[in-house]
Amino acid sequence: MRNILEVKDVAKHFGGVKALDGVTLEIPEKGVIGLIGPNGSGKTTLFNVISGFYIPTRGEVWYNGERIDGLNPNEVFLKGIVRTFQIPRLFNSLTLLENVILTPPHQEGERILKAPIKSAWEKQEIQLAEKAVYLLKKFGLADLIDAKVSELSAAHMKMVETVRGLITDARLYLLDEPAAGVAYTTARELFSFITKLREEEGLAFFIIEHRLEVLMDFVDYVYVLHNGKLLSQGKPDEVINDPKVIEAYLGG
Amino acid sequence: MLQFDILGFLASWGTFLGIYAILSISLNLEVGFTGMANFGKVAFYAIGAYLGAIISTYTILAIHNISSPPYTTEGIIALGRYGGENPALTVGLFVLSLIIGFIVAGVVGYLLTYPTLRVGPAFLGITLLSFGELLRIFLQNYEPVGKTNGIAGIPHPFVWVANTALRDWLYVIVVLGILAIVYLYAQRVVNSPFGRVLKAIRDDETAALCMGKHVPRTKATVLFIGSGFAGVAGVLMAFYLSSVNPNMFVTTVTFNIWAMVILGGLANNKGAILGAGIVTFVDRILTFVTPNLGITAITPDYMRWMVVGLLIVLVLMFLPKGLIPEKPIDTPVWKAVRKLLKEEVNGE
Repeated sequence: MRNILEVKDVAKHFGGVKALDGVTLEIPEKGVIGLIGPNGSGKTTLFNVISGFYIPTRGEVWYNGERIDGLNPNEVFLKGIVRTFQIPRLFNSLTLLENVILTPPHQEGERILKAPIKSAWEKQEIQLAEKAVYLLKKFGLADLIDAKVSELSAAHMKMVETVRGLITDARLYLLDEPAAGVAYTTARELFSFITKLREEEGLAFFIIEHRLEVLMDFVDYVYVLHNGKLLSQGKPDEVINDPKVIEAYLGG
Repeated sequence: MLQFDILGFLASWGTFLGIYAILSISLNLEVGFTGMANFGKVAFYAIGAYLGAIISTYTILAIHNISSPPYTTEGIIALGRYGGENPALTVGLFVLSLIIGFIVAGVVGYLLTYPTLRVGPAFLGITLLSFGELLRIFLQNYEPVGKTNGIAGIPHPFVWVANTALRDWLYVIVVLGILAIVYLYAQRVVNSPFGRVLKAIRDDETAALCMGKHVPRTKATVLFIGSGFAGVAGVLMAFYLSSVNPNMFVTTVTFNIWAMVILGGLANNKGAILGAGIVTFVDRILTFVTPNLGITAITPDYMRWMVVGLLIVLVLMFLPKGLIPEKPIDTPVWKAVRKLLKEEVNGE
């Protein structure tokens, strides 16, 4: 299968610290791929490089046949990569609907010259409304459109974050610990939902997760980072039985 | 017996309210909606005021071939003599000053964001604060703008109207008219997808960046608009007072505008006008009443700060979000979504 994302020999050094030291990996289209490793192994740094927060010291990142390292985070997003954070980062003073409707790129009304002229963007707003309603109903959030997101439950916040990504036409999702702080059953629900999205919408996911008991049941392939290098990779049961991985986790 | 010129008071209040409401709406765009702590508001106000002063006085002096600059006695006398000669010229200079004041102040605001936006909000505030002070000290020491004396003899745009009361009221109408334009524009800009992006940036810059929003460009745009409006307010004040000097543009002015925004309520254009109305009312009423009371121990200036300070404390204690709290961005999306959700219920 074609690769949607290719990371080629990426390194990121902070002074003398080699947070990433020559990482090469691939995410196939419609793939659900895990990224694990002990704390400080460079997982979030890798996400920051892919999503444009860091410029790699060495190496290249390719998305859909296009080189994207060196682009700004907003430009990476516009290419079709959504990144989420460990703790949902929503716009707290905005309502749920505003949070969702904010995300779609290329909104005419976001241009300062067009913003004061309602007729220039009204139509687009109404089209977005249709898309939003479809997703909000699918997630059971339709009753909460007026709610301030800061007042939502943690599970709802995660859903809003997902809906916010889905309303765009992004193809690749970088999820940073989606199951952290979520009850076991909710975590499983979340992952089965990811699987469903992959099948129904053809989306690809790259997921950092510490809760291996959940992650391993849902991913196709796993990469293991340790001290900025790939320690191991393979199907979930291969990786979990790899002595190097066990040692890194227990000894790390 | 108290002597109180009620019409004179209203005209004076109307002018101050209009000018300060323009300033507070523009600051609210920056602080309330976008979360940019602009502590250098006064600088852009000063730029407008000085540009208005320079354009109007030097042009009139040049037309009459007078070499004395507008900060010397000869220059001011000449301006008094020739200023009112040609109504079309005085009005024309006023309009030209408004346009140039907007553009120059706006461009300066835009350029100042360049070195600061990428390093974080505190730096922006401190840089702008220092810029304001630097500009004032520069004006204090720059010969062509009269150093500490400033520029006087700025021709009132309606100086050719013989009745002074009518002249003042015409000016009130112009100021409030410009305020209305600024208010309507600000209302439209914030109640749009652009306004939504502003609030998103205020709430979480990093997340906004991750959602594909061009954060630095958006902030620079807001500072262009906000500074441009401040420039317009400066031009209006210069033509109203007919003179400018560096002492008018101390840092206190910035915090005065902040007080208006906090009182009225952040991220709310109506609140900005209300806040400006209250603070300028206190200021004007004290200016008009205090001389009649025979109190010399406390100047109106000190009284104003005490009253405004007390108001802020009370408002923040009982209405922490200001007199008029923030409302969600009003775009057609709400109506459309509600309609779709309702149709669904009826359809089932």
